[in-house]
Amino acid sequence: MSDPWMERLSDYLEDDMPAAERLALEAHLETCRDCSVVVSDLRRVMNRARQMDERQPHRDLWPGIAKRIGATSAGAQPIRRRWSFSSPQLAAAAVLLMTFSGSTVWLMRSAGSLPADGPIAATAPPPATVTAVNVRRNAAENYAAAVEDLERVLSAGRGQLDTTTVRVIEQNLAVIDQAIAQAQRALLADPANLYLNTHLAETMRRKLDLLRQAATLVPVS
Amino acid sequence: MTQFGFGAVTLEHENTGRPDSDTVDATLAASGDASAFERLYRHHVPRIYSLVRRMVNDDDADEITQDVFVRAWQKLGTFRGEAAFGTWLHRLAVNVILARRETLGTRRKRFLEGDAVLEFLPARKAGPELAMDFESAMERLPDGAREIFVLHDVEGYRHEEIAEMLGLATGTSKSQLHRARLALRRHLER
Ligand SMILES: [Zn+2]
Repeated sequence: MSDPWMERLSDYLEDDMPAAERLALEAHLETCRDCSVVVSDLRRVMNRARQMDERQPHRDLWPGIAKRIGATSAGAQPIRRRWSFSSPQLAAAAVLLMTFSGSTVWLMRSAGSLPADGPIAATAPPPATVTAVNVRRNAAENYAAAVEDLERVLSAGRGQLDTTTVRVIEQNLAVIDQAIAQAQRALLADPANLYLNTHLAETMRRKLDLLRQAATLVPVS
Repeated sequence: MTQFGFGAVTLEHENTGRPDSDTVDATLAASGDASAFERLYRHHVPRIYSLVRRMVNDDDADEITQDVFVRAWQKLGTFRGEAAFGTWLHRLAVNVILARRETLGTRRKRFLEGDAVLEFLPARKAGPELAMDFESAMERLPDGAREIFVLHDVEGYRHEEIAEMLGLATGTSKSQLHRARLALRRHLER
């Protein structure tokens, strides 16, 4: 193979070649039959490679995997029961929020940044013995109550904040409320979707955080 | 004044507006749900097994495929949903395969110089009983050239990525690929 262009044909096909060289090669291809045959073959090789069939293993490999990850074999119970949420989604997300925070202590317990004599009382964590349904309702009620209280603090203190601060808070709240609404809409179509539930819980937590931050700006009257 | 550190909060995911079912299953699997992980396995095993078979080319394919999924289970916590789950899994599979082949006993010489790659494959004979199909020819390429061909032309990785994965110069990846293609053109189904 003494034709030096032969070495460059893959580069040419991958468009990995300076423009001037490319023009020279294209001129060469007009006259060199060997190179043009190889270019055409290489194109076919590249196309063939993209059309490779996928193959299934000859035997089911899942039982071996299940064993190694400590799961029971195919078709049996999963390691952990899948989440099953009932409406309202707000409640479900609130439960997730608690679960994901790795603690049963409700968020408002850490509302220490609020004015000490503020209107919000720390809410005790639900007793470990309450049923899941009750936890859900309590969590959702706690969340709603916390948001409502913080909104009241903000509303009352609004006149004492400068207009830029108020605008920033309101813009952020609007973004978060939009995201919450978006997540809730998506959850209507797919209520058990853990990603969406997690996302909703996270967004709700952001809202609470924002309101808490904002409330600290209101001077204690 | 106080800055509020809230970035844009959005659910959009790859233009679908919805997280795909892989992402959801990956999230569930990361929390310990083996049946979600089994769904991921069923969905992705053909692609992963095919990759393993083409890269490793011997009786270890079943075991290495299982290694890939066991490793994926262990690493699910690092899947952030930024890329598609399939892309994440594929990259993890390549890493498992590359790590594993180092321990796979005797290997043929990995990189053959120059036209030796061409001579490695017997020429396609006229008689159909001697003809080797494209895929068999690919499996008989020298290991290094085959890995590069599979990663680049079959799986779509770029030379820069391949060079990094295999610890090669980019130029080596390019020239080995060219050799592999030249060898395989003799085995195109006419
Ligand atoms: Zn030529």
